[in-house]
Amino acid sequence: MKLDLSPLIAAIGMIAAAIVIAAPARAADIVDEWASVKAPPAPELKAVTVDPKTTALLMLDFVPKACNAEHNPRCIASLTPVKKLLDEARGHAMLVVYSGYGKFTKNDVLSPVAANESEPFVLGILNKYLHSDLEKILKDKGIQNVITVGTAANGAVLGTASTAAELGFNVIVPVDGISAPDLYAEQYTVWDLTHAPVIASRVTLTKIDMMKF
Amino acid sequence: MRIHKRLCGAGLVAATLLAGAAWAVPARAADIVAEWANVKAPAAPEVKPVTADPKTTALLMLDFLQQNCGKRPRCMAEMPAMKKLLDAARAAGATVIYSAFGNVPATDIIKDVAPAANEPLVHADANKFRNPDLEKMLKDKGIKTVITVGTGPSGAVLFTAGGAVLRGYNVIVPVDGIAGDDLYAEQFTAWNLVHATPQFAKLVTLTRSDMIKF
Repeated sequence: MKLDLSPLIAAIGMIAAAIVIAAPARAADIVDEWASVKAPPAPELKAVTVDPKTTALLMLDFVPKACNAEHNPRCIASLTPVKKLLDEARGHAMLVVYSGYGKFTKNDVLSPVAANESEPFVLGILNKYLHSDLEKILKDKGIQNVITVGTAANGAVLGTASTAAELGFNVIVPVDGISAPDLYAEQYTVWDLTHAPVIASRVTLTKIDMMKF
Repeated sequence: MRIHKRLCGAGLVAATLLAGAAWAVPARAADIVAEWANVKAPAAPEVKPVTADPKTTALLMLDFLQQNCGKRPRCMAEMPAMKKLLDAARAAGATVIYSAFGNVPATDIIKDVAPAANEPLVHADANKFRNPDLEKMLKDKGIKTVITVGTGPSGAVLFTAGGAVLRGYNVIVPVDGIAGDDLYAEQFTAWNLVHATPQFAKLVTLTRSDMIKF
């Protein structure tokens, strides 16, 4: 007599399938889905009119270790438009504040955009408001708007511009005044500054030649 | 023929001068909006197993609210894993702190991961360290490491984890606990938290919730 095992095999198969289906599947996370991520469309750049009396220009980390031809050539390329913006700001007697980090001093700022003696310099990593006098410097001068340029986009610019927005300042970010060694970092920075909750409502993305004083 | 040669020579000289002039003119930097379509995403960062000391670790449950997470399918899909992480943290005796934006009350936190009576809630917008109570609570408890989970990635997670790094905390970020409504924001948040500065690379560990041991 031949034993027909096929119903038993089928039943085992069904039980096994049921066990697989019943096992709680781990939800796919961003590392699982990394390759399927699509960049959003580029945000819109808007023309801006700057009130010199209530606006400060923040020149973030234009110091050799952060801004150099070897590791961050896009920063070097940004110096020409940033110099134009700096001249314009000074020409309208605007407050200009510089930043650095670590042991850098005001004298270390790259010569094309070097700080004047009267222009303040603050030290800090990424968020220049943390452990510095920046907020006091701005508030003492009645500043309500800040123009944020510098490097790295995904470090000092993102950290300082987002904090400014959370502190209630209007924030102007000219895309040709920010830079990072990596295009991806620049892309996300401008996207996040124009999409992050609360922050986005206070940020205007522009270009230096779209700014009027 | 001689004239032809001379003309050719003059042409070469002129072309060389023109080329030289072009090099001398400083090219305007192409900005990121102009180069938007050329951007390539970097490789995915590595997720690593991590052991957290419950005595010095706080689990920060950021903005798991009906108002945002409740409307985001990816965030709601994380709730089983977040409940498991929360249970493990509580069982190990780790500190658990919740956050909300605006004045949203604790009763609006997603039920599956709702706070226990003794677990505090801090209010702040993106960076929860903007509320000084958070840092005080962490210091009072001797916390050295924070596990940051929540939504959205581009706001509360990115800026609170970043705020923790800047204050010297070790930061553990489970990638299965930071969903929002946009994959792009999740991707950058995961990438930037281990690339923003050398300090971030040193202090931030990307992991998954089931790779955390207490």
